[in-house]
Amino acid sequence: MGLASVNTASEGMQLCIFDLRRGQQEGQELDKILFFFPADLPFATQLSVIGLSEGLITFTRIFSPDAACEVIEAERHSHVFYEAESDIWMVMVVDKSKESKAACQVDALRKVLKEVHSLFVLFHGTMRSMLEKETSGGLIRSHLYPFITDYLSAYQKQSLLCNCCWDFLIGRKLQLPSFHDCLMERGTVQMLTVGREAAIEVQSLVKVLECSAGTTSCYSLVLFQDLLVSTTLSPDDTISLFTYAVLRLTPHALSSGATSWSYLQRTNAGSQVPALSTITNSGSVSDNIYRSRDASLDQENNCQVKRPLHHNRWFRGNDGFLASDIWGTDNGSQTSVTPIVYLQLTEERMYLCAYQHKSLTIILLVPVSSILNGEQGLSLVKQQVLENASLKMLMVEEKLSKGWGGENAYHVSGYRYLLVDDERVSRASPPAKVMTLAKESLLALSKLREEVNLEKKRAKCSSSEVNCDKELEICVRAKNGAWVIARTSRGKELYMVLEKASETLLYAADSVEKFSNRYCSGVFSLD
Amino acid sequence: MKERNTTSTLKRILVNCSSQAKEYGGCVAKKVPEVERDMCLKEFLALKNCMQNVCLTSVFCYIKNFSMSANASSSQLTVGLSGSGGLSHAYVQYPPLKCNLPGSRGLYYDDANKLLLSPTSDQVFSWKTVPFSPHVAATADYINEGPVLSIRYSLDAKSIAVHRSNQEIQFFQRETRETFTHMCKSESESILGFFWTDCPVCDLVVVKTSGLDLLTVSFTSKSVNLVETKKLSVNWYVYTHGSRLVLLASGMQCKTLTGFQLSSVGIVRLPRFEMVMAKSDANSKPVLAAEDVFIITVYGRIYCLQIDRVAMQLHSYRFYRDAVVQQGSLPMFSSKISVSVVDNVLLVHQVDARVSILYDIFEDSRAPISAPLPLLLRGLPQSHTGRPVNVGESLDRNSSNHELMFYGDDWTFLVPDLICDVASKSVWKIHLDLEVISSSSSEVPSNLEFLQRRKLEASKTKQLCLAITRAFILERRPVTMVAKAIDVLVSSYSHSVKTCSNLKETKVDEASASVGTNASNSSRSAKDESRVGVGDKSFNLSASDSDDQSREIDSRDLQKSGKENLLGAESSRGEVQSSSLHTQQLGLGNNQLNANNSERQDSQLTSPAISPDEMYSCVFVPVGEEIVGDPSYLVAIIVEFLRSTNSEKIKVRPNIYVFTIQLLVRYERFAELSLLIINKVLEPSKEVAMQLLESGHQNPQMRKLALDMLRQLSLHHDYVTLLVQDGCYLEALRYARKHKVTSVRPSLFLEAALASKDSQHLAAVLRFFSDFIAGFRNTPEYQDYFRILNEMNTGLAV
Repeated sequence: MGLASVNTASEGMQLCIFDLRRGQQEGQELDKILFFFPADLPFATQLSVIGLSEGLITFTRIFSPDAACEVIEAERHSHVFYEAESDIWMVMVVDKSKESKAACQVDALRKVLKEVHSLFVLFHGTMRSMLEKETSGGLIRSHLYPFITDYLSAYQKQSLLCNCCWDFLIGRKLQLPSFHDCLMERGTVQMLTVGREAAIEVQSLVKVLECSAGTTSCYSLVLFQDLLVSTTLSPDDTISLFTYAVLRLTPHALSSGATSWSYLQRTNAGSQVPALSTITNSGSVSDNIYRSRDASLDQENNCQVKRPLHHNRWFRGNDGFLASDIWGTDNGSQTSVTPIVYLQLTEERMYLCAYQHKSLTIILLVPVSSILNGEQGLSLVKQQVLENASLKMLMVEEKLSKGWGGENAYHVSGYRYLLVDDERVSRASPPAKVMTLAKESLLALSKLREEVNLEKKRAKCSSSEVNCDKELEICVRAKNGAWVIARTSRGKELYMVLEKASETLLYAADSVEKFSNRYCSGVFSLD
Repeated sequence: MKERNTTSTLKRILVNCSSQAKEYGGCVAKKVPEVERDMCLKEFLALKNCMQNVCLTSVFCYIKNFSMSANASSSQLTVGLSGSGGLSHAYVQYPPLKCNLPGSRGLYYDDANKLLLSPTSDQVFSWKTVPFSPHVAATADYINEGPVLSIRYSLDAKSIAVHRSNQEIQFFQRETRETFTHMCKSESESILGFFWTDCPVCDLVVVKTSGLDLLTVSFTSKSVNLVETKKLSVNWYVYTHGSRLVLLASGMQCKTLTGFQLSSVGIVRLPRFEMVMAKSDANSKPVLAAEDVFIITVYGRIYCLQIDRVAMQLHSYRFYRDAVVQQGSLPMFSSKISVSVVDNVLLVHQVDARVSILYDIFEDSRAPISAPLPLLLRGLPQSHTGRPVNVGESLDRNSSNHELMFYGDDWTFLVPDLICDVASKSVWKIHLDLEVISSSSSEVPSNLEFLQRRKLEASKTKQLCLAITRAFILERRPVTMVAKAIDVLVSSYSHSVKTCSNLKETKVDEASASVGTNASNSSRSAKDESRVGVGDKSFNLSASDSDDQSREIDSRDLQKSGKENLLGAESSRGEVQSSSLHTQQLGLGNNQLNANNSERQDSQLTSPAISPDEMYSCVFVPVGEEIVGDPSYLVAIIVEFLRSTNSEKIKVRPNIYVFTIQLLVRYERFAELSLLIINKVLEPSKEVAMQLLESGHQNPQMRKLALDMLRQLSLHHDYVTLLVQDGCYLEALRYARKHKVTSVRPSLFLEAALASKDSQHLAAVLRFFSDFIAGFRNTPEYQDYFRILNEMNTGLAV
């Protein structure tokens, strides 16, 4: 699977990461490149892409020093820019196919870049700190390649999953976000709504967890199915950890890995590390930088470069804690090493312990500094957690599953909607329901969202001080007669498609009002 | 103190079992790498055996040592202080109530009226024991000369009945001094005793060897009328007014008992039952004596305790309406046993061993709640040394003539909590020292449970509970443990709210008090019944006297205001003659209450239950002040508290939410805070919203949450004002129009519009108000802004 898909994908998309502070001398341009996908492109091409990007950045910075360019729309390509860390840029070049012309949301693409970066930072710390640690750049390159390849293949997998589940988008292409995804928001968390009683139980569990770990600076994240129930982390850390959990840790992610396990094994029989070997073997990798790096990679691959996004490597242990061999196993004992993650705000290093009971996933972050003797100390903490909290966990799981409405819990019949709160929390119609929408409606919504994003950005630029966010209300009639609606109010956004409300604008506005009053406690009710 | 005991036990084990321990240790050491189950079984069993013996005997040793030391100096009686360091779980307070009168012919106790009676040749003096006060003055009534076997006032205190002989009971009316005599009909039967009752069919019950006679007494006709007879051969009987239960013993061994409960609801005959008596050998047939059976009332349930001298056990039975169920046994360490009940705690006095053991038989547990310790004498005028007073010597000095014997032969334990020293004619009241009891228990939740059940000194107990909880939290015990303790407090509070017994009127008529138990007691016992398994149909017999206890007021409070009390007693003495003893009692009560108003509040509390507000102000706030650093532990406990109140459906005032927000904001735990707000764990209210607004300076997210909350609470005025403050005056206007908010001054909007320097907006706002508010055009505000607007426009034009 690996080879074919990556090759086809390369036709549609290029992704590069480069550091503007490096390779400033003539002849050392290659030093800038930290990552390029697909790797088998000739260096000349790679450099030309990066050169163009760098030129544009330098040029636009003259006019807007704080926020350089965000996107270039060429005739056949879109270049999406994202400055991940200062002077480290991620650029994605996307082909404009006929189908997706003007329908590919730039913002969604940028959010993909943001997501890769935040996940990378979660497990490896910032790129800058890695570059500072090892100035030649070999270290970061050896980390970035497997990481991003795994991430992208996760994309393929996700879409494959979509295929099998919902009969959607048959094909093996890399599924970048398209207009079809305009009723979802990447980089946000989805929350489970719970009643007060359950919420208190959850909070009580969280407190017991934190206290049983012995140190006060523990953090925890509680998920039910693929929804967030509770977090004590900062918003940014919550989002990246939530993303990772949904990708790899939730029961859904674990079981999907299990079902396709045999299939993957078959395809991977030839090579141990499928995606990576694709890169290393396929192209005519001529340059010595890569070669040397690959050589070193091959040697250190097993012990140094961890691939947190590697598929199907997490499993549920007998004690209920999730374990993975990604980080190797402890010498002496057969227990697997617990991963360490970095918090963005404090740059603290934390052990990541995940516990699962039925649909309940609990992620506990314990500061590395508080555990003296590594795995041994950690297993003590785990034991403590089990002793103190296992009963509570059972109870919380029971309570939450009793109150849960199932896959379509948040479906509101007649509406297809997306609700974003403060760009951090979102809720949307279930994908299966969104799928029933006509292409025209989705295209129209996608266009509308682009407009709203532009408007938001303008508002932000013009009045960065006033915290009163711009209020917007847009209703568009799509070609197929559906109403496509966007409303923003005080940091909250509502996007909606009403296909059956073919009547009048008044009718559509009325529907929105009803929805707002019932499900958003009247946030979007204007008058 | 407790630690000292455990270390000494351990020491004893180590000393006594050293050889066994050595053997076992050696055995294990030999086989160490391959540790198996049962590998040194023989050695282990030997060690275990030895240890158990030591442990078992430790209690006995303790008691034995004690009694030995007491015996050795029995003439001097240096009891009570040597082993306990001056602390004890129960004590009597000096001075006692002295009933010493010249010409007294003995002391009698009327447990129905709680009167201590001392007849002289032609008078009977009575002292009230409730509320207990050593300074209470005696009241005198005239009776005829003659022998007195027992004497009891009628329940309305209007007449006196005197048991003269086996055949004769004499009645006196107090007011009119009328008198008449009731004689036994036949010679073959004799009167064992009598008691007054509030049973609807009769006034007086006479227990005879041939059964019970239920009588009504009429002074107008100067006769008694027989209402009903219960035929039964009776050897002896036991009665307490508290339980309204009379137990009649029959049979050769006197161990077949029949019970009648004569309460204001009617007469209930209990099924006949047999007491358990162990036999020393096959032929011996021990006879049960009346002194060996005690009726006690605990938590409104009626139990009977029976001494089994052969087995050295105190068997307990619980009475239900249609069954008597044996409940288990308590150990006896003395051949002479007496029991008291103080505040629903059972005290078993091991008289020979000179210690008392405390049991709380609420949960059917037979474990004592503290170590066996002697009663202590408190409040003696301090001797020259500062140390606690030694009973013996001080008595030598103080109570010159009469030697007070602690646990002496002269001691009579009166129901439920009095001790009468016959020799010195003094009466003591037993008090519990809850502080000592609770400090000897390390299990805080169960300790709190115990304390919450105490009703006697409710306010003191409450303070104790609060202090214990505070200390428990400050010690940073595991959250689960603290949660348990909080559960105890909250469920106790919810219970007290449900039964409305928290602020109970004390002026319940005694007759009506017998209608039943406290609702709380009956519901508790109902719960227990299912566990006992007797079945639903069995209602347990309820004690009707539990209200009397709540009427008792801490005697030390009385001492504080002792002067007033004396006065009160004297002034009310006049009333006594005209009305009844009962009113005297109330009169005194009122007097005392007037004496100290603040105390009144406290003494009216009948339950130490702690309300959420008190939890907040007496636990969380002080703890919050003392805890340094991360507040997450305290927040965890507050969350547990909220969980507890939520499950008990108790409303919590917003102040605790505000407090939680302050805690979380202080340490910038905004993620947790917003979750708590969004999920309504901290319920929305104006106070909460305002607190969030205040923290909005640090985190704009909080301000948003606050605004949302205000809108959801429909606090339109505040919402609109805040929107204007944020500069969202147009939205505020829209909102104001929708919800007809007219209370916000237009000038606020106009100022905001002016600040935005947008003449169109200003014009719009001006126009809006001139439409929205009638007569706005005529206000100076309108004129001002109209002028400003014109200036702006002309400025633009230029």
